Amino acid sequence: MAHVQVNQLFKKYGELQVVHGVDFEIGDGEFTVLVGPSGCGKSTILRMIAGLESVTSGDIVINERVVNDIPPRDRDIAMVFQDYALYPHMSVRQNLGFGLKMRNASKVEIDEAVRRTADTLQIGALLHRKPGQLSGGQRQRVAIGRAIAREPQLFLFDEPLSNLDAKLRVEMRTQIKRLHMSFQVTSIYVTHDQTEAMTLADRIVVLRDGRIEQVGTPDDLYSRPANRFVAGFIGSPTMNFIDARLVAEGDTLWVEPTGGPRLSVPAERVGRYRPHAGRQITLGMRPEDFTNTWTDESRAASSAVPLDVTVDIAEPLGSDTLIFGRIGEAEIVCRVTAVAAPPRGAVMRLNAHMNHMHLFESDSGVAL
Amino acid sequence: MTTLGRTRLADVGTYVAFGVICLFFAGPLLWLVSLSIRTSAEIYVSSINLWPNNPTLENYVAALNNPLFPTYLWNGLKLAVGGAFGAIFFAAPAAYALSRFRFRNKQLAMIGLLAVQMISPLVIMVPLYRYMDRIGLTDSHVGAMMLYIAIAAPLFTWMLKGFLDGIPRSLEEAAMIDGCTRFGAFMRVVLPLSLPGLTSAFVLNAILGWSQFIIPFILISKPNLLPIAVGIFNFQGTYSQTSTQTLAAASVISIVPAVVVFLVLQRFIIGALMSGAVKG
Ligand SMILES: Nc1ncnc2c1ncn2[C@@H]1O[C@H](COP(=O)(O)OP(=O)(O)OP(=O)(O)O)[C@@H](O)[C@H]1O
Ligand SMILES: [Mg+2]
Repeated sequence: MAHVQVNQLFKKYGELQVVHGVDFEIGDGEFTVLVGPSGCGKSTILRMIAGLESVTSGDIVINERVVNDIPPRDRDIAMVFQDYALYPHMSVRQNLGFGLKMRNASKVEIDEAVRRTADTLQIGALLHRKPGQLSGGQRQRVAIGRAIAREPQLFLFDEPLSNLDAKLRVEMRTQIKRLHMSFQVTSIYVTHDQTEAMTLADRIVVLRDGRIEQVGTPDDLYSRPANRFVAGFIGSPTMNFIDARLVAEGDTLWVEPTGGPRLSVPAERVGRYRPHAGRQITLGMRPEDFTNTWTDESRAASSAVPLDVTVDIAEPLGSDTLIFGRIGEAEIVCRVTAVAAPPRGAVMRLNAHMNHMHLFESDSGVAL
Repeated sequence: MTTLGRTRLADVGTYVAFGVICLFFAGPLLWLVSLSIRTSAEIYVSSINLWPNNPTLENYVAALNNPLFPTYLWNGLKLAVGGAFGAIFFAAPAAYALSRFRFRNKQLAMIGLLAVQMISPLVIMVPLYRYMDRIGLTDSHVGAMMLYIAIAAPLFTWMLKGFLDGIPRSLEEAAMIDGCTRFGAFMRVVLPLSLPGLTSAFVLNAILGWSQFIIPFILISKPNLLPIAVGIFNFQGTYSQTSTQTLAAASVISIVPAVVVFLVLQRFIIGALMSGAVKG
């Protein structure tokens, strides 16, 4: 198992700089997800860790050894590619055993590893087939099998599920999680899908334009986003951002959405936000922080305040209903317990859970 | 008119056009075969009859009995196969580099290769002869082969590049992570996968080499070094009476290997020609 450090990593393609000084560290057995929008440099970073791409400057350290100039084959890693990259001219059995064969394992060892891997992934019946004769999901399993058969110190995944249909993707996601729980091998997983990131990761590195926006556990990113970008990236539907003003009146602090009703800031946050009183800020509220079911006690306990929302559209999802509506000038989405769809223009009284509120500086987007 | 009728009519049109085109290209070949089974008396007489009055295989016997004929065939084979091997040998690494590596002026290099391809050997015949003569490579199979290679390599570089482009890079990368060196990944993954492409390029190249005329015609004058394509041309001169029929028979014999190879391997060859067009 491996401990990985990435120090001040830079990457340039010619004149184009795509990674701008990235630092993070991955503990033994940890599952880390690199997430960010398309083109932010996730794959590039992963490929530098794999040794497939040269490092412009900075260090990649695996188990206290700087590996910058060490070829991929000597890094003791395995990688699952987005297009699976199964060797088309070899059978599934040969694909699974290839890494061990290249490392001069004995025939007995290889057979044993192939059998074990095939059992784990339930692909025993496919061993004699060529990759061309497999379905997408089966290829995916074989690709993962090829990585685990060799028992490397470090797994790298580059969007391994993006070519699967929605249902299979969820299945394989669980499968990967299960594999990680049983083998506990250090893993780095690249995706642009925040759900995959949230469900799989011990730790998430959020990237944008080749820079780290935030590193943290899924809960850190969800509950305490460092800035508006992370807040908007994590969670679905995305967080509501509402232009507002922070108003102080004696000991109480209010958030006043432009053209909307004022909302009181819970007592435990007042100290933190007080210095910003009088400023124009952005209020962040997640769709699930508006509810339509409450009792007076629960409302008091969660510092929830009643809020009237003018409904535009309601989208029933079965268990929940998404309400697209307005407060003041701002458009918001609320995820409430299933209700009969209210007509357009109706006013719904919802509960805004202000203890989950986020405030961001209007221009920089930094969390206050 | 019904749709069906219209389709039929269109079909008929297609077949007629097909027939005309076929006749246009096959005509000379049929005429050659016709000439090759005539007696010398009939060569100039019944020139409108495709099928002669007294068909004979005499001419084939005469051609094959020519003491130099097997030598011509052997020389042709040697040059064609040697040239094809050489062209692949030089084109394959170039194609690999063009397909896999990023470097400055790559586009320019690719266009440059094509530009070279556009120069007909006919145009540079005189300087080429002088040049080869100066460095002592006339009347030599090595010299001729070098030119076969030089002429074919650019086209085959393009062709093989198209083929290699169709082999995903991630396969090599996977192999390198699995424990191969770059060369190892090439040998174990890229080479086996490009074997169909290499084979078809080789065959196509050998066929082109087999029918190569200008190069050996310019460079080789010793009869025992001539390949078949030029050798049969010399039949013309070696016989005192009319030799058209023998020449025709020799020509037919010389085409047969190329046609047979083409028919047997046409799948491969079409694969090679299409490889750049359709990415797999
Ligand atoms: N070989 C290359 N040459 C030049 N630029 C490149 C090369 N590879 C990637 N880039 C650029 O580097 C940036 C980061 O690319 P990268 O593939 O790492 O993005 P990504 O985060 O993995 O995106 P995606 O989610 O779309 O896969 C992009 O702007 C891309 O255009
Ligand atoms: Mg990517």
